[in-house]
Amino acid sequence: MKAVLVPGVFALLPEYAGLEDPVAELRASCLDAVAWLGHDVVVVADAQGQRVGSALLSATGVSTGSTPGSAYLVVGNGSAKRSEKAPGHLDERAHAFDATLGASLRAGRPDVDAALAHELWASVEGITRMRELGDLGPAQVDYDADPFGVQYWVMRWEW
Amino acid sequence: MTLRLGRHAFADDATLMMAIVNRTPDSFYDRGATWAEDRAFERVALVVEQGAEIVDIGGIKAAPGVEIDAAEEKSRVVDFVARVREAFPGLVISVDTWRAEVGRAVCAAGADVLNDAWGGADPELVDAAAEGGAAIICTHTGGVTPRTRPYRIDYDDVVAAAVRDTVAYAERAVAAGVSPESVVIDPAHDFGKNTFHSLEVTRRLGEMVATGYPVLVSLSNKDFVGETLDLPVGERLTGTLAATSVCALAGARIYRVHEVVETRQTVDMVNAIAGRRPPHRAIRGIQ
Repeated sequence: MKAVLVPGVFALLPEYAGLEDPVAELRASCLDAVAWLGHDVVVVADAQGQRVGSALLSATGVSTGSTPGSAYLVVGNGSAKRSEKAPGHLDERAHAFDATLGASLRAGRPDVDAALAHELWASVEGITRMRELGDLGPAQVDYDADPFGVQYWVMRWEW
Repeated sequence: MTLRLGRHAFADDATLMMAIVNRTPDSFYDRGATWAEDRAFERVALVVEQGAEIVDIGGIKAAPGVEIDAAEEKSRVVDFVARVREAFPGLVISVDTWRAEVGRAVCAAGADVLNDAWGGADPELVDAAAEGGAAIICTHTGGVTPRTRPYRIDYDDVVAAAVRDTVAYAERAVAAGVSPESVVIDPAHDFGKNTFHSLEVTRRLGEMVATGYPVLVSLSNKDFVGETLDLPVGERLTGTLAATSVCALAGARIYRVHEVVETRQTVDMVNAIAGRRPPHRAIRGIQ
């Protein structure tokens, strides 16, 4: 089985394209990872994340599967309060929260503090549901940065 | 349809800045600032750096004044066109002239466009454009003699007249052999028009766009702006840009301007509002 995690960044949607892509590096990582998933991919996300996941699947020509199968695209990201310019301004707890969540993702056993995630504007519904997939094992980390004060990861698992 | 200006082609959604470069001692706005050839060349280099796709080189001011014959007009523009052609191969060179004799000479020197501000006063200008492989700007002047001011000109419907005359001129150009991709129409604000006429062609510019021909507008610092806002030359930029916005929203393609940077920003902003151009770089709220 395969799984990929991408952030639910609206700038990845084609309807929000500008002349210059502010998330070019992230987009390249996402497209590369999604293409790796193969076919019949199930999107695991909240409603907004579904939009981003569907757009990435369309962009890569990857087909969508509706029943649990062997490939999952999880959409979620860390806090949006990592700096004074972040959408949610700076919250001193954001970096520690993301460090813990990131480490658990790397290990393939996501550990989410849902209440704190809510306070820190982290989008974790899809990540929380990853636990239904079992122990994913160690991740390959393709992208790990917070260019706009929001913590993004692109990770892959195969187990 | 692709817009072809001499050597250069542009996509059908491209908007273009045509910067005015006067080789005259007496034009209304710059008052001879680029009369010396080197000053005019510096102006070309500046507007290219500012992003102008086209320069419009003129050897005779539009208003009445000392008569300039064809030989004198050619001496002002032909060698200059050749110099600009050599220095800026990627630049579209337009020459503002109504004379076929001058048109032929500048095409041979490297001009891409003949900008006939006087509405076909010399019927052979279309032949010069066809022979030279140049584009032509077909303007509406109400049939006035070149270098005359409008005096008690009246129209039943100025926009209908502008559409009728420019389309007729365009068809005459195509019949003479100018490529249909190389014909542009221009309502010619202030030419054969009072201020009320120029305001109306601005307000109804969409009717010219609806002809399907690319539309050029020449609004920059003109008297209709000055009279509307009661401002002298030199204080008309804001009014010019307001008129530019209205024309951009209607779909004008080419803007003949003194101020390249300000006009480019205005046109890009309006076209983004109209949904024809994406923002340059947008991340706010969609991180």
